[in-house]
Amino acid sequence: MHKRIDLIDLAGIPEVQRDYVGHLNKLCDTLGVEHATYFAANPISGKMHGFTTYPDDWKSHYVAHRLQEYDPTLNSASRSVAPVDWRRLTSDPEYDRVFKDAHDFKLPSQGVTVPIRGMFGEIGLLCACSSVPQAEWIKLKRDILGSLLNNAVHLHDTVMNSDPLLKTLRQPKLSSREIEILQWVAAGKSQQDIGDILMISSRTVEVHMRSTREKLCTISTAQAVGRAVSLGLIQPG
Amino acid sequence: MILVIDALNRDRFQSVIDDMFQLRARVFKDRMGWDVSVEDGRESDLFDNLDPVYLVALNDEYDVIGCNRMLQTTGPHMLTDVFQDILCGEPSLRSATIWENTRFCIDTERLKHPDSTRSVSSTACELMAGIAEYAYDSGITDVISVVDPAMDRILKRCDNAPYGYLGKTVQMGKTKALAALSDITEERIARIRNFAGITGNIFADEDEVAEALAARTAEEMMSPDLRDYCDEQIAAATTEHEKRAALALRAALAQTSRSRSDIRA
Repeated sequence: MHKRIDLIDLAGIPEVQRDYVGHLNKLCDTLGVEHATYFAANPISGKMHGFTTYPDDWKSHYVAHRLQEYDPTLNSASRSVAPVDWRRLTSDPEYDRVFKDAHDFKLPSQGVTVPIRGMFGEIGLLCACSSVPQAEWIKLKRDILGSLLNNAVHLHDTVMNSDPLLKTLRQPKLSSREIEILQWVAAGKSQQDIGDILMISSRTVEVHMRSTREKLCTISTAQAVGRAVSLGLIQPG
Repeated sequence: MILVIDALNRDRFQSVIDDMFQLRARVFKDRMGWDVSVEDGRESDLFDNLDPVYLVALNDEYDVIGCNRMLQTTGPHMLTDVFQDILCGEPSLRSATIWENTRFCIDTERLKHPDSTRSVSSTACELMAGIAEYAYDSGITDVISVVDPAMDRILKRCDNAPYGYLGKTVQMGKTKALAALSDITEERIARIRNFAGITGNIFADEDEVAEALAARTAEEMMSPDLRDYCDEQIAAATTEHEKRAALALRAALAQTSRSRSDIRA
């Protein structure tokens, strides 16, 4: 089983106080990786969002040499459906250009990029890297992959929702099944109870609740209930 | 064996993609009568332009015998669009840990041919195991599969029964379509493998397949006389040693005609 590591709530913090780099630092500590980067482009304004825990000298070098235009951990990996282990990118023609420099700055060459496709086809990327021995990395990656996926989508949705126009376009669209299930949650019913009431399996209830949480950009089911009530999607329990 | 093709390695496997689109045309247009667009005997749609990942089942000769397409549910996918009828117009599930499977099919005609060394059921199981293992390794915990009732029965028969369904079953062409939910767990992978007697790695090595396809293309480009001669030599071989030598000769001659055509190109 994948290890479940709690998400760090970002959407709950008022926008002006949001510290994305601090958030990534916390993520690194929680997951046990060395560095993390989030990167995306706003599909409407084209504005680039990039946050990273990498040291300043590497950031300056990276920007000065326009490495973002070549970096396979961003460019190639963004076209994958599945998370991409950087080992897969070694045959990329631009691999050496970025990784040789990164090596000179003593940065890990071992990492993974988690691509998230947004509802307008835009792509958010969460990268994490570590210099532990390879066997350990494989195990670590397996343990944190589910958590990276959840964090990637949460981060991506939060960043995209910080744009007022996108926030309007991205109004959460819940299905009547999702609303029905959340209404039963608000009434205090357990997952199993709800499955019995609706005559569906308990796991079907669970995937609907997971989808609801992600659509509402919340971490816990309790938060999802709160947000759905405030949006007028369900009645208070 | 299962070959994984996505935007990162698609250039290397154009011929496999082309075979797959032909198989999809035979299955979804000809056999199932779905309203899919077929051009020049090949079925593809706008989701094929969105960098999906394909899991392709290949036989020992590297012919496509089955395929499946996967997309994230956080972005554009089929249930939010052309398969909306299944969800009665309702929004689809959206989660970073749920993927969507579409265009799952098996080349039953080829597999039912007397010369085929594989069966429909073993190929379906290998592809299903491939889907589950690839998704599992990607941190995915559930998949939604849009299938027809015949495929749904195959899932159940292979100890790979869905745990639930979304929306309703709708008429689609000569058959129906429905959306099945499956968990992606070690238990499910073990059940499929156990049912089909699958042991060991089922994923093809990308480089090996690319090399074998190039060799096959080269052989096809040999002059017919030369190819017939090589085939006769291989057939006439009486010992393992002779057979290996005849196969090596054919590969060497194919290589020569390949490099000559490279020069021409």
